[in-house]
Amino acid sequence: MNSDRRAGPSDVLRPRNVGAPIKRTEDPRLLTGNGEYTADRKPDRPLHLAFLRSGQPHARIARIDTAAAQAAPGVSAVLTAEDIADDFKPVIPFSRMPSYYATPIVPLASGKVRYVGEAVVAVVATSRYLAEDALELIDVEYEPLGAISRAESAVVDDAPLLHEAAGTNVLIAREFKKGDVAADLKAAAVRVGGRFEMTRKAPLAMEPRSYTAEYDKRRDAITLYTSSNIPGIVRDAVSESLDLPGHRLRVVAPDVGGSFGSKGSLYPEELLICITARKLRRSVKWTADRLEDVSSSSQAFAEVVDAEMGFDKNGVATSLQADVIGDVGAYSIYPWTCGLEPVQVVSFLPGPYKIGSYRGAVRGVATCKPPTGPYRGVGRPIATFVAERLMDLGARALGIDPLEIRRRNLVRAEEFPYRIASGIIWDKTGFIECLEAAAEAAGYDQLRREQAEARNQGRLFGIGIASYAELTGIGSRIAVAPGMPINTGSETAKITIDSTGAITAAFGVASHGQGLETTLAQIVADDLGARFEDVRVIQGDSDEVPMSTGTYASRSAVLGGGAAKHAAKILQEKIQRVASHLLEANADDIEVTDGKAIVLGTDRMVTFKQIAKAVYSDMKTLPVDARDELSATYTYDPINGTTAAATHIAAVEIDPATCFVQILKFVVAEDCGRIINPMIVDGQVHGGVAQGIGAALLEELIYDEDGQLLTASLVDYVIPSAPEVPVMNVVHVESESAVTGGFRGMGEGGTIGAPAAIANAIADALSPLNIDISILPMTPERVFQLMEKAKPKSKGNADE
Amino acid sequence: MKPAKFDYVSPSTVEAAVEALVASNGEGKVLAGGQSLLPLLNFRMARPTILVDLNGIEGLSYIEDRGDRIAIGALTRHRELEHSPLIASKLPVMSAAMRHVAHLAIRNRGTIGGSLSHADPAAELPMLATFYDAKILVQGPSGRRTIGPEEFFVDALTNCLEPEEIVVEVEFPVLKQSGWAFEEVAHRFGDFALASIAVSVLHGPSGLEAAHVAVMGVADTPRRLKEAEQALVAMELDDRTPDRFSEVVVSQVSPNGDLHASADYRRHLLGQLAKRALQTALATKG
Repeated sequence: MNSDRRAGPSDVLRPRNVGAPIKRTEDPRLLTGNGEYTADRKPDRPLHLAFLRSGQPHARIARIDTAAAQAAPGVSAVLTAEDIADDFKPVIPFSRMPSYYATPIVPLASGKVRYVGEAVVAVVATSRYLAEDALELIDVEYEPLGAISRAESAVVDDAPLLHEAAGTNVLIAREFKKGDVAADLKAAAVRVGGRFEMTRKAPLAMEPRSYTAEYDKRRDAITLYTSSNIPGIVRDAVSESLDLPGHRLRVVAPDVGGSFGSKGSLYPEELLICITARKLRRSVKWTADRLEDVSSSSQAFAEVVDAEMGFDKNGVATSLQADVIGDVGAYSIYPWTCGLEPVQVVSFLPGPYKIGSYRGAVRGVATCKPPTGPYRGVGRPIATFVAERLMDLGARALGIDPLEIRRRNLVRAEEFPYRIASGIIWDKTGFIECLEAAAEAAGYDQLRREQAEARNQGRLFGIGIASYAELTGIGSRIAVAPGMPINTGSETAKITIDSTGAITAAFGVASHGQGLETTLAQIVADDLGARFEDVRVIQGDSDEVPMSTGTYASRSAVLGGGAAKHAAKILQEKIQRVASHLLEANADDIEVTDGKAIVLGTDRMVTFKQIAKAVYSDMKTLPVDARDELSATYTYDPINGTTAAATHIAAVEIDPATCFVQILKFVVAEDCGRIINPMIVDGQVHGGVAQGIGAALLEELIYDEDGQLLTASLVDYVIPSAPEVPVMNVVHVESESAVTGGFRGMGEGGTIGAPAAIANAIADALSPLNIDISILPMTPERVFQLMEKAKPKSKGNADE
Repeated sequence: MKPAKFDYVSPSTVEAAVEALVASNGEGKVLAGGQSLLPLLNFRMARPTILVDLNGIEGLSYIEDRGDRIAIGALTRHRELEHSPLIASKLPVMSAAMRHVAHLAIRNRGTIGGSLSHADPAAELPMLATFYDAKILVQGPSGRRTIGPEEFFVDALTNCLEPEEIVVEVEFPVLKQSGWAFEEVAHRFGDFALASIAVSVLHGPSGLEAAHVAVMGVADTPRRLKEAEQALVAMELDDRTPDRFSEVVVSQVSPNGDLHASADYRRHLLGQLAKRALQTALATKG
């Protein structure tokens, strides 16, 4: 790769932080209640926002009467789309994709509403209580235009249009093709297929979305505190929309309590709160309550896939085709567009497999629901679910063991780099190694024996495998979202030693729970030659850190980590130069370690503090041209990025009495390249798998035919709690990638592999009853219905 | 999600609390543990003009042994019932069921008077009151009266109390039993029950002498299944008894379907739980 520097021999000998299970630096403050989240900000006499949200799925706004609300106690302003029309430009989620319509994003519904939960009127008052009291005094007259509740009904000829200007409800359509799928399917020894579905989900971060706009009268400037994982993108978009230059708009993502994708897009409320602060010249606060968070934050999945796979008689997959319909909700989101989730389903569907011919077509269809957006795994959870179900169906049809059929189809070590049928290139990654390591850790052969025994006793015991690959740490050659014009391909690190000798490393990537303060400090400490505890990492503040888009798409370890290594090396060289003056030695003979510069083979040394004093505070120690600021900045671009892969194996048992699925065993063998902090990697896998268990067994946002959300609380939207998450066995297959540091991204894999592995295990458990699994989540109710339907058939079989 | 404006009083006697309710003209609400009321206030689904907080009243939290009865004060927290040795020895079905009441934080705050008054059809304490045929003592402007569970639980989330009446004590008879069981299935541990059954049996010289059976989650109120009890007492005891009992139990209910479970699935679950419960109850032969 162009800008890579491999570790030198002395790097390997030195005691290292990278690779050590160092406890997270951020935890003491977070666990003792000393973190600072957006809602903790206490600006001077802030005003509070509350939103009147649409109860209508699709209606023209005929009239809004806000007179009574304006007169209510404590109310400073009541704002409608009309009142703020001159205060912003709509934000356009642009893309170069053909067959795409970019729905303009505005802070409040204008002209009509398109989903239940869309913000229509904002009340600004001296307290949230008074603001909510005033909401009740607002009268909105709607003329219903007909709910579009399902993607299938949105594409019929006489369906009402959600966006008249688009001329269709299909906001995005794409097709990927390679080879002659029809011919290959025809020639296949076995064809398997079906209609697969993953229902709509909520990302559900523990901290709901929260914004505080702090107004600085002196400069007519705004500091937006936002619970965002893309503060850089938010800053640029708000600046453009409000025509407010960057030096009067500071955006800070302080401690952020999780995102899972829900805080990874620009939101109308972020625009509105800045508009309000500027208009009223006051600081303004808003935090979503749980109902608002579930019903107005971006949602996930909601795709139906008709797919078919052909195999030759040896179990080699020759051909794959899929038609995907994605229910993308009412709007395209900024900056990722509504294509992000459904298009990734078809671009990743062939997965880690060498499938000769492929056709994948996708339509993203507008419906009266909140927009879908990024969700940990993006597109790949359902792509993996479908591909792995097809692999198992093929194995079953051919009488091949599911483990063996994957061996025959995975890209092998000697075949990298490998371009899969959809065009994605996998760099050298341990696909087969993960499969074998997972099988060994799970005791696969023993599990099969246990299964045989269980079946003899009439128990429903199943084993499921899922292998996947993903692109992580994507560089400038590939857009994170299709056709998107924002640079997501590079990251900058700026490392400074100040006049006190303190080390500060500034990054634009913004942690929302990943522990980047810890892992980036581990890298900086090693490559600079500093002590870990002396390195302070700062992030997510546009006044303090280099320009960046943020943390998403499993990029921060690769891009931020790569930038950290390069910047640290440059700064280390500066330290060596200064030390060579101070120690009267050749710079090449000076080793920097533990916050000191030492002349090799001697006890002569200077500390960083002494070096800083010489550079910044002494007039005589150094010549002027050697007093260069102790600071280094490097922008790193991994160009293509790198692959990450894993195999998940689940063993489950289904209780025929309750129809509950119990996960007996869960193994993950993953290749995330060189591991920076194994404790954090394990935590990412555990959390991702827990989330994947939610997708596989529990979580479902249900909208009725009238577009009303029926599962708007945590009583009805059921997420996994501790008893639903089993102890996991995580195996690390540590094969270094080709990017700087050898890292691979690993924030998302848990949600990609787990649903497919669990689905395959359930299907395996129920295979004696001839039941297939084609929809997730597999709730007890769905298991019950499938078993009821299978009953007469299995009875008939038993009678034969 | 903030409540509408309300007034708040914290009386120190039940009489004063009743007076405050009388003065509110039916617009007041009683606050005990707050585990159901506060969400309703925040959603503005309940809009009382005044909250009458019972937590300042002394002497409403107790578990008292009255020989063949156990009396429980209305402000007694779920967690006290869960951990009471007296409840464990005298009302073992209650003791077993209390573990299923929501989560630790809720059990620390929630009260028996509050749970019964809220009358959730899938909550354990209303079901236990029905199972034991408890006596619910309430106090109003004209003094105290005792109400049985069948009269008390009118409908889902609806009790028979007058707006000025407050539950002050619940008295549970100690059952004569030789075996018992409590079974519940919820989506996750601590969730509201999809189906649940409590069974107790008393063995006599030949077969069963008496039985108690109650179910929840399968109707708008918890239900005591007296016909199933009679049928069970009349049954021959053999390997097929749990299956026959299960069929009788299922024939006695007609559950509604909702988001969490269809009617058919609830009926299936109840049948399975009935079988399992009776097997357990019969296994402890006295």
